[in-house]
This record gives sequence, C-alpha cells and structure tokens, in this order.
Amino acid sequence: MLGAAGVVLVLCTAVLAACSSGDDNKVVVYSGRSTDLIKPVLDRFAAETGISVDFKQGDSADLALTIEQEGERSPADVFISQSPGATAYLDDKGLLRPLPQSTLDRVAAEDRAGDGNWVGLSGRVRVLVYNTDLVSPDDLPATVEELTGAAYQGKVGMAPTNGSFQDFVSAMRISEGDDATTAWLEGMAANDVKTYANNNAVVDAVIRGEVPMGLANHYYLLRALEDDPDAPAANHVFADDVGSVEIVSTASVLAGAQHTPQAERLVDFLLSDETQRYFADETFEYPVVAGVPPAATVPELAAEQVLRVDFDELGSEFASTVTMIRDAGLTR
Amino acid sequence: MTAVAAPPAATGRVRRPEVAGVVQPRLPRAPRRLAALGVAIAVLFAAPMGFLVVRTAGLGGDTVLETLTDDALTPLLWSLGLGAAVALSAAAIGVGLAWCTTRTDLPGRRAAAVLGPLPLVVPSYVGAAALVAGFAPGGLVADLVSPLGITPPEIGGFWGAWFVLSAFSYPYVYLPVAARLAELPPSLEESARLLGRGPRQVFTSVVLPQARTAVAAGTLLVFLYTISDFGAVSIMGAPTLTNEIFQAKLVPELWLPLASLLGAVALVVVAAERALARRRVAVSGVQVRRAMQVPLGRWRWPVALVVWGWFGAALAAPVLVLVLWVVRGVLGAGSPSATVLAPGGLLAPAASTVGVSVAAALATMALVLPVAYLTVRYRSRAGGTANTVVVGAFALPGLVVALALVFWTLKADALAWLYQTIPLLVFAYTVHFGAQGLRAAQVAVGSVPTRFDDAGAVLGASRSRRLRTIDLPLMARGLGAGLGLVLLSAMKELPATLLLAPPGFETLATRIWAASDSHQLAQLGVASLVLLALSGPLTWVLVIRPGRRR
Repeated sequence: MLGAAGVVLVLCTAVLAACSSGDDNKVVVYSGRSTDLIKPVLDRFAAETGISVDFKQGDSADLALTIEQEGERSPADVFISQSPGATAYLDDKGLLRPLPQSTLDRVAAEDRAGDGNWVGLSGRVRVLVYNTDLVSPDDLPATVEELTGAAYQGKVGMAPTNGSFQDFVSAMRISEGDDATTAWLEGMAANDVKTYANNNAVVDAVIRGEVPMGLANHYYLLRALEDDPDAPAANHVFADDVGSVEIVSTASVLAGAQHTPQAERLVDFLLSDETQRYFADETFEYPVVAGVPPAATVPELAAEQVLRVDFDELGSEFASTVTMIRDAGLTR
Repeated sequence: MTAVAAPPAATGRVRRPEVAGVVQPRLPRAPRRLAALGVAIAVLFAAPMGFLVVRTAGLGGDTVLETLTDDALTPLLWSLGLGAAVALSAAAIGVGLAWCTTRTDLPGRRAAAVLGPLPLVVPSYVGAAALVAGFAPGGLVADLVSPLGITPPEIGGFWGAWFVLSAFSYPYVYLPVAARLAELPPSLEESARLLGRGPRQVFTSVVLPQARTAVAAGTLLVFLYTISDFGAVSIMGAPTLTNEIFQAKLVPELWLPLASLLGAVALVVVAAERALARRRVAVSGVQVRRAMQVPLGRWRWPVALVVWGWFGAALAAPVLVLVLWVVRGVLGAGSPSATVLAPGGLLAPAASTVGVSVAAALATMALVLPVAYLTVRYRSRAGGTANTVVVGAFALPGLVVALALVFWTLKADALAWLYQTIPLLVFAYTVHFGAQGLRAAQVAVGSVPTRFDDAGAVLGASRSRRLRTIDLPLMARGLGAGLGLVLLSAMKELPATLLLAPPGFETLATRIWAASDSHQLAQLGVASLVLLALSGPLTWVLVIRPGRRR
C-alpha cells in the first residue's frame, strides 16, 4: 500500500511539473465546446502563432459560474460559450471586455454584441426534428405556435431545462414579447408536451419513435445521423418564424484577462475562413462569416428563412427566462 | 432498515466471552490531541457548506425566504421520497448480494464478488442513457424482444430514477457489508446451527445484527448519493432538489437557497442517524481463515438465476448497449468517430484517471481514520460534529463542491497557488467522497477488539506502533471497502474534475462527457468500457485481494 502511495506521489509531482510551465506567451481558454470539437483548431492556432493554449472544457453555464467565482483572480482569458445565456450572465456582471472592431466586423451585426463584448462563433438553427416513418411532411406545422394546437397534442418532445431551449425562449421573448411567450409555454404544457433532459435525448426519442417530433438545434440530428445513417428522422425548419430562430455560440475576452493581445488574436483566428470551415464541417453548424458555406450535408438556408434576434435586448433579463419556463409548469 | 432491527439477543446467548455483544456502559473521553485533529478535519470538510452559507447569506433574507417558501417544497419531497426508496432497495440488494458471495455456494460467487462493486463506476447519466436507449419504445432491447411479443416497461419518472439509482448505488451497501461478513467468525453461525436454527433464522438472528452497522453505513450513503445525483434524475425526469438546482444554475436567487436547503437536509439526516444508531459494540473480527458456507441446496440455481439476472439487468444490459454503440460506430467507419476509436487516444486519460483516483482514495482514508476512531472509540462532541460534516458533504452535488473550492482557494493568497492543481483536485475528491471512506472506516474500527490495543499499551508499544501492528492489519478488509468506494466514485467524477483540474487534464470521465456532448456514441461507449475494464482489476487488487491474503 505504501509503495502504491509513493508511486502516486511521484506521478502527481510529474504531472504537476508538466503543467506549470512558466510561459507568458500563452492564452487560457475556458470552453463550453468540448475538446473533440475545438482542440484541432487550438492546436493549429498554437502552431501558427507560437502562442501556447491552456484549455479547460466544461458545461458553458458551469464555466460562467466558475469565472464569476474566480473574480479578479480568474486565469481565464477567453470564454467560448455554447449559449448566449451563459455569456449574458458574465456580461451582466461586467466581466467581459469589448473586442477589437476589426474582429467584430467579420460577422453581421445580429451576430455580435451591441457593446462589442462578445462575437458569434457559429450559428445554430432551432428546428422541429420529426420521425419520417410517423409524420408526413404535409402534416408539419408552419409555425412553432401551431404546436400548441390539438393536432399536436402529446406528439411533441422538448428539453425545457436545457440551455439551448432557454435561449430559444429568450429569443421568443425578444421577438414576440413576454405575454405571447408565456402563452406559448403554457399552451405547450397544456398540450401534453413530452419533456426530455437535453437535445440529444429529444432527438434519440424521435428516432426511436417514442415521440413523433421534437424541438432541438439543427445539428443534433445531423450528428446522430452520422452515427446511424439509417435513422428515420429529418429536420423541419419553420421558415421565417421564431421557431427556427438562429442562436449563436459566442466567444468573448474577459475583463480581467492577463493575456489580452493573445486572447484577441485567438478570437480573431476563430473567425478566420479556415476555422469557420472547420466548424461547419465538423459540427454541422452554420458559419457566421459571410462567404463560408455550410457543410455539404447541412441545408443552405436563405437569409430570409431564418429569423434572427438581437440577444442584447434581453440584457440582464436573461435569468427570468428560467423562471418563466418553470412558472409555465415545464419542468423535467 | 426495519429488517435490520432484528432481536440482538442472539449473540448474548452464545456463551463465548470474547464475542458477547455487550452494550458498553460508557465510552472513555477522547484524548485531547485526537479531538483537536477531529476538529481540524471537520473544518476542511466544512468548505462546501461554508461556501453555501456565505453565498446564500449574501442574497439577503427576503430573497432566500421567498425561494424557500415558493419553490422548495415539491423538490424537497421528491428528494426525500426518492432518497428513501432508493436507500431501501439498495440495502436489500447490497445485503442479499453480500451474503450470497460470502456465505453460500452460489455458482460463480468469486466472479460475482468482483462484479458486485462495478456498477458504482458507471456515471449515472451514462447508465440512465444506456437504459433508456435499451428499454424505451423503439430502443435496442425493445427491438430485440418485440418479436417475442414482449414490451419492456417504459423507463422514466420516479420509478425510472429509482431503478437506475438503485442499480448503480447498491455497492455502497454491498462493499461494507461484504467486508463485514467476510471477517465475522464462523463460530457464531456454527453454534446457532448446532443449536438447531435453520439457515434463515441464522441469517436474521446472527448475521444481520452483526452486519447492522455496515448496512446502516451503506444505506445512509445511498440516501445521500441519491439526493445529490443530477445525471439520472435529469434523464429520467425526476424534479428533485438537485435537478432544480442545476436547472436554475444561472439564477443565484434560486439555486443558492435550494442548495443550502439540500445541505441542511443532509446534516439533519446524518445527525439523526447518528443519534438513533444504538452504539452497540459489534462482534470483533479476528483472523478468519474460512467463513461459514451455507449450502443453498435446491435453492442454489434459483438464487444463481436471481443474482446473475440482476447483473444482467444492472451491468450487462448497459454494457451491451455501450458495446452496440461501439460496434455501430466501427461499422460506420469513415466517420470522424472511427479515428478516436484508436485505443492510444485513451491511454493518457486512463493513466490520469487511475493516478488521481488512487491518490484520492488513499488521502481520503488517511484523513477520515482519526474521525473514525474519535466517533467509535470515544465519547466526543468533536467526533460527532466531524461525523456530521464529513458525511453530510456527500449530499452536495459535485458542482457545488467545485465552486466552493474555487471560492476558498482564491480567497486566501496563501492558497491561490493550489488553484487548478492536482493536489486541489485530489482534495476535492476527498471532501466530496470522504463520507464513503468514513462510514467504511467506522465499521472497520468498530470491529477491532480494544483488548489487543490495551495489551499492546501495557507492553509499552507506542500509539503509532499499535496502530501499525495491531489495528491496521485487523481493519484491512473494512478499510479496503472504503478505499474501493472512494476509488470507484473518484474514477467517474465529472464536474469537479472539469473545473478544478489543471488545463488540458483529461480523465476517462471527461472523455465520456465530451463524447456525450458531441453525441459521438461510439467514443462514449469505448471510454465507458475502458473505465469499467480498469475498475475491475483495481477493485480486485485494492479491495478484494488484501482481504483474501490474510
């Protein structure tokens, strides 16, 4: 036993020594996007710029809470978030700093913060995933509002407690107003909507046929199809409706960043054509930089088909979206 | 638990003085230095609760009160109900399995002894997702059995969460109880048999009462684990306190009061359990070379069917789903998932997993042992407090433990260098899983007769020498059980690992999470299977073999 303890001690020291390289030309990234989906990009950045990258992955909201808790001592320079909600949480607390205009200008005005504190990294479109064995395309609703109708009673799945659903509801509040949003949430609850833990669970349930259709981000089905190409499911886009609003993943530089130039360079790099193409091909998301096409398997969406909202408008009201969803009786 | 409160008189009837289960009239006062050490350890383990108190107090009384009156009752009832239900069933499974593997001629009992603790290493969200994928309408198992006209029950809600959590948490009972049974002298049971008791009576009147502290220890752990779990309850849709806390993560006015409530519930339950537990000194385990074996007779194969059927449902079914995911991923080669199937990519995470988990298990046992002595051998208020704090911390979700350590480490200049280092991560595991080590250590300390220690003292052996040469060897099995519990829990730990580890540090659990996040089921399957494959030999080497060799 003592021998084992000795071995462990040596192991720990070795790992520790390896981790504490006193390199100042570096950037520390907290990323809600997991290793598999971003590590190659960061490796390429390190190789091209000579700036080493310290990378910490985690749930976007968990990382936002950590950065908040770390306060002035936060080692983080860049925060990559899968959800505008988590970004807004930090922005509201004054923990983000404006990005250079040249970086912001790489994307359309809707895909960046009015105050320049965050920039969109990739676009995700909300869709209705449906089981092609169970639902005929003719029976699909034109708007997400129709899902509260009798025809869809008990036939729709969604993940009310998931970050991306919360962001979708926030978008609905911006575009339709709080009253209409509350009415929709209550309508869904009254229509026996089936609730799931997250987007993956919704998509899996639709593929199994447990529920004929469900609300999710567009790329979850595309990833599931990669695993199982024969899965009987397809994405339905609510053209020009809040049901298919675009929600961006974001990148931001922290107010207390200790490696600001490197951090800004990294964010700019994430918006380069090459990186955008990588995101498009590997994660099936929509590039936010004009001129970069989505992956071959991802349907091109004309600009007028996809509704965009200005997430800035919610500001510190983001948090109350969670309360609205709960109050409507949608829990999991 | 009612089954455990069997008449304890049986032990008194056996006329062998060294095994008489007498109630000790009064425990001696704790030595001052040991009590001080206990207080110091309690302070370390109070980090998460202290963090919650500070942050919640910062919200102001009105906000806290509003949340507690408006949003707390239903989730609280869910937590208590689910916790109690899972604790009961896990106790039944754990005790039954422990008895079968240590006391009977069950076919394949050695294999069962190794497999028994393994479900603990399956992250609850992976287990739940695999079960859903298997049994839900249109799922893999459902497809398999539907030609036979069988529709598997739909898994979800209270009973779904109950099943998953029971299936993956019974090792908290199984490990300490199996360790306890293995060291019980067979003489008691043999005497009872000679006096004409049937096997069933021997079980209820001799075995159960002697295993009672171990059963209680494990059952409380299951309860606390259940109320702290997020993975299974979110997938199954059980709105417990922890589920609500996670859903309201970005709303401090909601989650902080709810997390404080969760902590308070844990402290009350732990303190109440300690007050209720009658402090009967159990039969001492002395060098047992061979345990009594009960021939199952005509029940041998039916029992085997139940035990192996259970492993089939709790372990084999999820493993089968994982394997199917992997196979599907490999057959669909050409997709990016195929590239990560190369096993080399998991070598470093696997080594890291083993390194930090073994370190955490050893550190935890070392840290809780003084508290175990303090609570079992002595009358001490410090011991009672330390017990409550150490065990209660287990009910808090890993995310809260992680945030608490961020809070405290960065608060003090002297500690800041520790932030995001391996030692801090190991400490986080220790705080999070200390309860498991402590409960097992208490069972172990309680089963060592003090008369050896007294004899050693009379002969002039120092305290440390007595500990080394008398107590530790006698406690090997019990401490091994605690070591195993902490080890398996640390191996699957996710939130603290993600937040507190040095940048770039990956374990198998973080690989599983990343694969699950990007819906790469084949990789998720491979990493989970590697995690399981590693835990088997580790459990054998650290938990089961040391007990056998003696």
